[in-house]
Amino acid sequence: MAKSGIAYGVVILACLISLLPTIYMVDISLRDSVDSFSPVLIAGHHTLDNYAAVLAHGEFAGFFVNSLVIAIGTVILTLLCSMALAYAISRLKVPGGPVILLVVMSAMLLPLASLLIPITVLLRNLHLTNSWAGLIGPDTALGIAFGTVVIKGTMDDIPVALEEAAWLDGAGSLTILTRIVTPLVRPSLLVVAIWQFLFSWNEFFLALVIMTRDDMKTLPLAPLFFEGPYMADPGKLFAILTLIGVAPMVIYAVLQRWFVSGLMAGAMKG
Amino acid sequence: MAGVDAATIEATRRHGAPLARGRRRFRVGARPVEAWLYVVPALLLFGAFELYPILANIIASFESDQGHASAVQYAAAAADPVFWTALRNSVLWVVVSTLLEIAIGFPLALLIEFYIGRGRPLFRTILFLPMVVTPSVIALVFTTIYAPDYGLLSGLFSALGLGDYFPAVLGSQDWATLAVIVVNVWQWCGFFVLLYCVGLAQIDADLLAAAAIDGAEGLARIRHVIWPLLRSTHVSLLVIGTIQALQQFPLIYLMTEGGPADSTQTLATLIFKTGFDENRMSYASAVAVVLFVLALVLVGLEYALASGRLSFRRRQHG
Repeated sequence: MAKSGIAYGVVILACLISLLPTIYMVDISLRDSVDSFSPVLIAGHHTLDNYAAVLAHGEFAGFFVNSLVIAIGTVILTLLCSMALAYAISRLKVPGGPVILLVVMSAMLLPLASLLIPITVLLRNLHLTNSWAGLIGPDTALGIAFGTVVIKGTMDDIPVALEEAAWLDGAGSLTILTRIVTPLVRPSLLVVAIWQFLFSWNEFFLALVIMTRDDMKTLPLAPLFFEGPYMADPGKLFAILTLIGVAPMVIYAVLQRWFVSGLMAGAMKG
Repeated sequence: MAGVDAATIEATRRHGAPLARGRRRFRVGARPVEAWLYVVPALLLFGAFELYPILANIIASFESDQGHASAVQYAAAAADPVFWTALRNSVLWVVVSTLLEIAIGFPLALLIEFYIGRGRPLFRTILFLPMVVTPSVIALVFTTIYAPDYGLLSGLFSALGLGDYFPAVLGSQDWATLAVIVVNVWQWCGFFVLLYCVGLAQIDADLLAAAAIDGAEGLARIRHVIWPLLRSTHVSLLVIGTIQALQQFPLIYLMTEGGPADSTQTLATLIFKTGFDENRMSYASAVAVVLFVLALVLVGLEYALASGRLSFRRRQHG
């Protein structure tokens, strides 16, 4: 049993390292101004004053709404586009399907930074900077490749007998997609939805250049926004960081079962 | 040794899969026009925000500041020492990040899947959590951890009586890039662990039993059986890790802003600095093309490595 003892020890140590910065962040957010600069993991004198002060700040709620709208919009649009594309390639055998898939997949190899300038110029010309659509569009486009690959992978493994039967009964392609295929690929939809939500929720680079007006900024830009004003008051800054950082952690902790089982179901192959 | 030929096993596994492939003939009776309707939404967005940008970028990179067609931006980059620093740092980011992530992620996944009885989902989840935290939040937390005087790390140094030796990591040209890469590795290791766990869970138990009969135990089993069987996981992770390292922006931007003295610039941060801070869009486009080509070259190398064409090791024969 010594072997598994060592194994537990190493894995638990790794988990601690994994959690340590978060613990530190939460603790600083709870410190009063006397302790906020002490170089220790956990300090004394805990208070919730920082949160009260930060939440009284109007801007934060606005950031939160922008992030939520953009993330949800991106998830829905990514699912719709990827599902339709996967269906057209896997089932409808659209002419040129394999080529489309190859092009879409090779886009996963493009670092975002190398697309940033033209995307920004395009959005400026379309007057879409400082708008929700200005981030939902590119965020969705960046997610379509992953979404299509994952959903198509699952779709390919489903036997077509049901769909053939429905077709012989006179069902159209849209009915077959929504009534028969969608429920069967649900695990892969969840994987894509969770991944895409986290991507969009946390996205910084595009948001930085596209959301230049304060009332349109998203949560990942908040640290930059509040860093200056709260320079001498880390407790309040870290309260903001905690509010931003803990939300996706809770979301993942709740949904991880489906995410992992979706991955295990072979959604990641290819 | 009577090793198990992993490639053969893999091949049998693939082709032996009893899947009804009747779908090849099935088409739901849709006409091509109807099929295209399903493609349009994805292709519209994809064309606008992926295909068009990459083409526009290449064209813009061949414009002089007066708008004439020329390669002057590339010449300017080649003459700019900051460009070379950025290129070197981008390669450093890829190499150090992916190697550390695999070196930490693979053993942890092995321990979790093969040596631990209880609590696997919990450990995987805890290790994955850093992945979901907003990078800009992580940047500020680690800036504080690294801070001289009041940071956690300097506190640790003082507690060990080494306070005088604490390097102001983020202010040091020698250490700043590595210090930021460490944060990236901290964030992404859990992703590597999770995907390796998924890969390990898909290995056939009979195969491992057969390998044990052939005498593959402990480290030999890991090296000659498990590691080669995970080839597709290795390749996926290498490619994902490479692209991720190349496009890392918030950590560098918020922790060092490319400094001190441009020593931590990467191609990604240089694109932002020259394109948006200095408004030299054509120059930034040339840097973007270099970044894009670098990504293709590195990924190409990784595929070649994985397919054995670049393997330096002697091939094992059963």
